[in-house]
Amino acid sequence: MLRVPSRIGKRTHAPAYHLILEGILILWIIRLLFSKTYKLQERSDLTVKEKEELIEEWQPEPLVPPVPKDHPALNYNIVSGPPSHKIVVNGKECINFASFNFLGLLDNPRVKAAALASLKKYGVGTCGPRGFYGTFDVHLDLEDRLAKFMKTEEAIIYSYGFATIASAIPAYSKRGDIVFVDRAACFAIQKGLQASRSDIKLFKHNDMADLERLLKEQEIEDQKNPRKARVTRRFIVVEGLYMNTGTICPLPELVKLKYKYKARIFLEESLSFGVLGEHGRGVTEHYGINIDDIDLISANMENALASIGGFCCGRSFVIDHQRLSGQGYCFSASLPPLLAAAAIEALNIMEENPGIFAVLKEKCRQIHKALQGISGLKVVGESFSPAFHLQLEESTGSREQDVRLLQEIVDQCMNKNIALTQARYLEKEEKCLPPPSIRVVVTVEQTEEELVRAASTIKEVAQVVLL
Amino acid sequence: MCCHGLPVGGSPSSPGCFVPLIQKTGGLLLTAERGGRMNVGTAHSEVNPNTRVMNSRGIWLSYVLAIGLLHVVLLSIPFVSVPVVWTLTNLIHNMGMYIFLHTVKGTPFETPDQGKARLLTHWEQMDYGVQFTASRKFLTITPIVLYFLTSFYTKYDQIHFILNTVSLMSVLIPKLPQLHGVRIFGINKY
Repeated sequence: MLRVPSRIGKRTHAPAYHLILEGILILWIIRLLFSKTYKLQERSDLTVKEKEELIEEWQPEPLVPPVPKDHPALNYNIVSGPPSHKIVVNGKECINFASFNFLGLLDNPRVKAAALASLKKYGVGTCGPRGFYGTFDVHLDLEDRLAKFMKTEEAIIYSYGFATIASAIPAYSKRGDIVFVDRAACFAIQKGLQASRSDIKLFKHNDMADLERLLKEQEIEDQKNPRKARVTRRFIVVEGLYMNTGTICPLPELVKLKYKYKARIFLEESLSFGVLGEHGRGVTEHYGINIDDIDLISANMENALASIGGFCCGRSFVIDHQRLSGQGYCFSASLPPLLAAAAIEALNIMEENPGIFAVLKEKCRQIHKALQGISGLKVVGESFSPAFHLQLEESTGSREQDVRLLQEIVDQCMNKNIALTQARYLEKEEKCLPPPSIRVVVTVEQTEEELVRAASTIKEVAQVVLL
Repeated sequence: MCCHGLPVGGSPSSPGCFVPLIQKTGGLLLTAERGGRMNVGTAHSEVNPNTRVMNSRGIWLSYVLAIGLLHVVLLSIPFVSVPVVWTLTNLIHNMGMYIFLHTVKGTPFETPDQGKARLLTHWEQMDYGVQFTASRKFLTITPIVLYFLTSFYTKYDQIHFILNTVSLMSVLIPKLPQLHGVRIFGINKY
C-alpha cells in the first residue's frame, strides 16, 4: 500500500541550517568526485636528488660470493649404497654413527618387501597433492595406524619431514598470537615460526623458570589489556628430544604451566618418536603423561621410522584444521605410496617387538658412559638419547677453528672406519646458533663391540687432535 | 615492510600484493575501476577477497536495488506515514552500513597472509587501504543522496532532521581517510 505524498507539489519552507548543511554536503560530493586515489603511506620522503645519490652509492655484490676452498659444501663425502649399519663412504666401508636410523629399519627386509610390493602396485609417485587425486588408501591407512599407535583421535601425513612442523605452526598461530619457544628449537620450527608472523618469545633452553617468567610477564600484559588478551592465542613449542642438544624437555612441568597460564603445547617429537617410552610412543609415554594434554604432536618419519615425510597427531578437532590450512599438506604432492607402505610395515615391526626400545636405551647408556672422560670433548645430551653431541670443552675462540678441529677428528675417525658427522647449520639463518659439535647416533644394529670400538677410536683420535 | 594492516608497496613486482589501477584518476566520476573480475568461486591469487568485493560486477546496482527493496518493504507497512518510512529507510540503511563496513572486523575466511586484516574493518580493507577509489566514492555518496531524498520527503521536519543528520554523520565520519585505522576510546580495537 503506497501512500502517495499529498503535498509533494507544494513548496515547503526548508530551514536555513538545513540548506547550509545540504550545500556543504553537495560540496563534499563534488570534492569526492574529483579527488585522486592515493595510498596512505605511499609518500617516501626522498627527493629525486637523494634517490640518485643512493643509487650512485650502491655497490653491487658479486653474484657468487668468495667462498673458502675448505667450505663443507664443497668437500662432501660421497656415499655409495644405502646409509645402513655399514655405510660405504668415499669407497671405504664404515660403521654408521651418523644416520638417524635408530631402529635399524632402513635395511629391514620386511620393510623393503612392503615397499617393493607397493611400488609394483602403485608406481613410484603420486603426482598430485592430497586434494587432487593424490590420496591413496595407503595414506589413509598410515594415518589411521599412526593415530591408533599414538592413541590420539586423528593423524595427518605430510610428504616432507621439514615441512611438517613448518606447516603446522603457521596453520594455528597467526599475526598477533604469541609463541613461547625454546632457544634450542630446530631449524624447521624456526622456519615455521617465521612463516607464522606471530610474536616469538624465546626462553632459555629447558629453563622452566625462564618460561614461567615470560608467561607471567605476558599475564601482566593481558591483565592490562583484557580485550586484546581475549583475541590472542598463546602457544608453547618444544621438542621431545632436541636435535641440537640431545636433551629432553621437562614435559610434566610444561603441562602444569600450560594449565596455569592457558597456553597450548605443540610438541615436536622427531627424535623421540620410536625411541622413548615403553612402546616407542615418545615423550608422553616416557613421562606417563596423558596424551590429550598435548594439543599437537608433530614428528617426522625420517628418523626412527626410516621412511620419508612427517605426521601430526592429536584431537580430530585440531588435526582436521590442517587439512585445509596446512600449506605443506594442501600444496605439495603427497607421500609416495611405497614410502607410506614402508612406514606402515615399520609400525608393524615396532608394535610386534617393543623390546627394541629398551635395547636401544641400553646401547645409548653404554656409549654415553664410554665416551665420558675424553679430554677436550664433552658429551652433550641425555644418557638415553640416541642422538647426542660431542662438543669441544674449551672453544678455541673462533667458530671456524673449532669446526676445523672437529672436522679433523671426524676425518681421522673415518680413516678408522667409524663414520661420524658434524652437526651442520645454516650459520647465518639460525636464531641461536649452537656451538660446533660432532653428532653421534646410536642404533639398535650396532653391536656392543662396535660401540666399544667406536668409543675408543673417538678417544684416541681426540687425544691426538686436541693435544 | 608493511606496518600493521596497511600495505605499502604497490609495485607490480611485489608478489601477493594487489595491482589495482592506481593511476591518479583525475577522479572525474566513478567509471574506470569498476566491472571487477569474474573470479568468484575459482582458484585465484587474490590474497584477501574482501578488498575486491565492492568492485565486483553488478554489486553497485544490487546495492541500490537493495535499498529500493528495503524502502518498498517499509512502505508496505500499514499506518506508517511516508516521512517516517523515509527516515526509517535512512536510519536502517546507515545502521546496516555502519555495522557491516565499520564495525565487523577481519574476514570470514582464512587468508594466506596470516591474518593481516584481522583487526581491520571492511572499509579499511577495501582496495587494500587505498583511499578515494571508485567504490569508496560510491559508498560515500550513496548515504548522502539518500539523505537528500529523505530530507525532502520529510519536509525538513526538525526531529527527522536531527535523527537523519546524526545517522548520516555516523556513516560519513568513519569514511574519512584521517580516520583510517582509528579506534576512538579503544572501542572495537581487538
